[in-house]
Amino acid sequence: MLIFSVFKTLTDQRVTVELKNDLSITGTLKSVDQFLNIRLDSIKVLDEARYPHMMAVKNCFIRGSVVRYVQLPAEHVDTQLLEDATRRESLNQGKR
Amino acid sequence: MSFFGFEQNDLEKEKRKFLEGGRHDEDLAVYTWGEDSYDGLGDALHERGDELNDETFGGSGPIGKDFDFGHPAPNTEWQQSNHAARERDRSPEQLHHARPLSPQQTQPSTARTAHSLESIWDDKSPFSVLPRSATNGTGRSLGAQHARQASATGLTGQQAKYSPLAGAALPARYSPAQSLVSDHSSLSRGTSQAGVRTLEEIEAEMRVAAQQSREAAQRAQLAQPQQYPVQQHTPPPRMHPHAQSPRFHQLQQQILIQQQQHHQQQQLQLQGLQEQLRMEEIERHLRAQQLHDSPHQVLHQRRQSPSLLSVADLHQLAQLQQEQRRRQVSPLGVDSRYHMPQPLEEGMQFLPSNIQMQQRLLAELAQEEFIREYGHTQQHVSPEEQELLRTEAMRKIMEAERMEEKRRRKAAKINHMSRYNDLMTQSDKDFITRIQVSQLVTQDPYAEDFYAQVYGALMRSRLGLQSGDERVLKFGSGVGVGLGLPGQRPSGRKQSAVQRMEAQVERIVMNARQREREKGLHSLNSLQGALGKTAGRSYKAAPRQLLQVDTPKATHVGLHDEYDAHTIGEHAAKEAAKLGREALGEAAGASELVHRDPLSRFESLAILEELYDTVLDVEQLRREQPPTDDEDSYQFWNASYADRVGQLWDGLKVMVPLETSNPHPFVSLLTPIKGKKVLPRIARHLSGQQMLTVLTLLVACFSQLDVVVDAPLLDSLQETEERKEVERQTQAFLGSVLQSILPVIAKASLRLVSGLLGLLLDRSDIVVVSRTRPGLALLTLFLSRVEVIKQNMVTSTDSDEDPTPEEEEQWQLMFDHLFQLIAPHLLSLFPSVRIARSISSADASLTTDHTDQPVWQFLAALGLHAVLEQQQLLVTSLREKVLDIVLSVNKGWVADEEERRAKLGNVNIFLHALGIDSSQIVL
Repeated sequence: MLIFSVFKTLTDQRVTVELKNDLSITGTLKSVDQFLNIRLDSIKVLDEARYPHMMAVKNCFIRGSVVRYVQLPAEHVDTQLLEDATRRESLNQGKR
Repeated sequence: MSFFGFEQNDLEKEKRKFLEGGRHDEDLAVYTWGEDSYDGLGDALHERGDELNDETFGGSGPIGKDFDFGHPAPNTEWQQSNHAARERDRSPEQLHHARPLSPQQTQPSTARTAHSLESIWDDKSPFSVLPRSATNGTGRSLGAQHARQASATGLTGQQAKYSPLAGAALPARYSPAQSLVSDHSSLSRGTSQAGVRTLEEIEAEMRVAAQQSREAAQRAQLAQPQQYPVQQHTPPPRMHPHAQSPRFHQLQQQILIQQQQHHQQQQLQLQGLQEQLRMEEIERHLRAQQLHDSPHQVLHQRRQSPSLLSVADLHQLAQLQQEQRRRQVSPLGVDSRYHMPQPLEEGMQFLPSNIQMQQRLLAELAQEEFIREYGHTQQHVSPEEQELLRTEAMRKIMEAERMEEKRRRKAAKINHMSRYNDLMTQSDKDFITRIQVSQLVTQDPYAEDFYAQVYGALMRSRLGLQSGDERVLKFGSGVGVGLGLPGQRPSGRKQSAVQRMEAQVERIVMNARQREREKGLHSLNSLQGALGKTAGRSYKAAPRQLLQVDTPKATHVGLHDEYDAHTIGEHAAKEAAKLGREALGEAAGASELVHRDPLSRFESLAILEELYDTVLDVEQLRREQPPTDDEDSYQFWNASYADRVGQLWDGLKVMVPLETSNPHPFVSLLTPIKGKKVLPRIARHLSGQQMLTVLTLLVACFSQLDVVVDAPLLDSLQETEERKEVERQTQAFLGSVLQSILPVIAKASLRLVSGLLGLLLDRSDIVVVSRTRPGLALLTLFLSRVEVIKQNMVTSTDSDEDPTPEEEEQWQLMFDHLFQLIAPHLLSLFPSVRIARSISSADASLTTDHTDQPVWQFLAALGLHAVLEQQQLLVTSLREKVLDIVLSVNKGWVADEEERRAKLGNVNIFLHALGIDSSQIVL
């Protein structure tokens, strides 16, 4: 739930989602769910010349399982808090 | 719907004509029933009222042999006998006509073929005569019509072929093109089929024709119900057997009596006919067994029940034979008929209302014709009644149309709505959402949603909003969902929607739980995985661990035992050696003191992680602090809190003796950035005394700090990784460590400050320390604190807090010592100077003004405390530097306004401390 929680704080921020098919989509994060499915608005694809079919697409829903990386805006991530949250997560995990 | 448009040809005349060998009037109306030009309107016929067909035509199963011809059923029997009576004198010809065709007979000529086609209608068939028999009247003709319709259907098996309207009423208007086609095809037929054909050929053609006609019929039947379902179920009123007027039935009775007289003759006649027919039947049956839907079915039926044989049937048979013959000679015709209905049907699909209008028009025309032609001959049908019938018919037609319209509208609506088939409705989506939300429900929503919760709280506090309570949706039983950070509070309608959602989700969760309890503990949540596998738990989704990193706890684990034993052994040997050395007296007077190797990076990191876990625990405890009036729980909480703080204190290793290692374990813990960052968080929970201890230890070990040791790396303009790292560490130290000890120094007494300064001077090379930013910052802190104390001494009347003269004296001593140590190196305190020296170029100082600022601040603080001689020493040492800066600013050598102001500001910090300003300096 940690990453889900982090993504919740990033709604309405610009993120870049790198998919497993090497497509990189930058867009405004609209929503995310527990499967880490991602909804993006006003998207732009990296290297548009290679993916001309994506030029007309303005928003998209990305299934969580096809995401390789998500580039987060550094200024909107509290790294120390993220570390803490990670520690808590691993602590909770240890308890289970 | 009506045959009444037929031209009233004299049948007897026609018969004669036919028998005379094919001469015929060219102006004869051409009836194309069953022809290739057939327009398919017969399909539109109402087929209701067929219930009695089987009874009438002997199709209702086995019929007993005890048939009584003497007392015939009034309705069917008189018809038969009537026909028979009229046909009596014609039957020989008829029979000749009905006889199977030999190849010689089928020798065709164009004219002959055309004649035979026409003769389908105008030949000896009794039905075509019926309308003219004045005694029978309307009802008669209707009955006959009805029967013929049924028999035609039964005989040909092709509903599509029955089209009296097209043939009779408006052939030219309705399908001129088709009649042309029929002319053409009959011509081509004549030419193509010239010559004598063998029986095999004929049989083959018949089979083909039957196959094709069957297919066409099937197609028509398939297409038909879609287009004309209503019409099929609403028969025209006059066709219905029960629609006959009472007067009509009276008439029937009269006719019956008349018929009785002819009965004996009929019987004889019929028997003769039967014999002949049977012979023919057998022959024909053998010839065309495959034609299942062909007239032979009727023949079969008749064979089963020979007693039902009637003259009417016989004539139908004759018709059938003609039809057959026609088929034999016209495979082309069949072909074209086979193809014709399709475009027509397509047209109907597109123009149903058009067709309807045409039909209505046709019906009206037919009716009018009927009334005009028969009205005067049939006296017993009053005009009112006709009118009544007419209106009735119109009403039914209109009704049928209305029904059709309704049906079409409904179909269109269904079609329109079916666009959304297989799509989810809003309630489906809501349901899914709720299942999803219910899966997010956890026992500890705050912990599960920790990041978002804390981040939201931080954001709110940063934005100055009231740091509200936890943004979680709590349910009655303590479970809940973390809501993250909504942009704004939901308002009005949204709020109620949220509440509704809340209630529904809670219900789902409760139900799931209930079910779980009912099923027993083994069953999982029934909704678990309903929407797919959740990847939310990161440890499940984490990649497989490739590196097995040893943790102190994991030393006994399997594979690594050997290695661990080895390292542990090594370590132990070293320790033993050290202990031995100490025992030999190297560290005299410190018997309990155990020298150790400094903490390795890994060790300190491990300790730090433990510290972090404890800190998180403590912070959680702080959040859950019970109210102080709840004695028991508060006591319990306080105990566990104190316990955790004790763990933290121990973890910091502050109480480890100073000489244990170099660097001291505490300093080792401060070396990683996260060590520096954890200190303020721990400091929050430590007491003042504990923090004082931390401060003392820090001052004592100041020269061991990484930021002091690595500080010279900063005296370079080269952007190396190391420099960046040191810069980051320095920032972290200033931001975290000094910030956490600042409150302690701010409250320190003069005596404590003197002691700390003495400790610093004693244990560190003050010149080295003062060349670092942390060192300068610490010294500046000390000096400013003393300055504050001094000012308090002046202003406060309360002398309790005032330092004693001895303390003042001690401070002065310390300060003098500091000044004495630093004075020779004043210029080298400036990073700009050090950098300039290292790279020996003049322009290096341009970018270092902001790095010089702490130095100027320190010098200012120094100047405040300095006595006159010390101030003079300061000025003489820094005179060059100050003048240099002022000159460069005033002469306009510094182009950047901001830089100029920064330079002047720096100088003024110092000059103000001495009581002067840069503007006073006259060059």
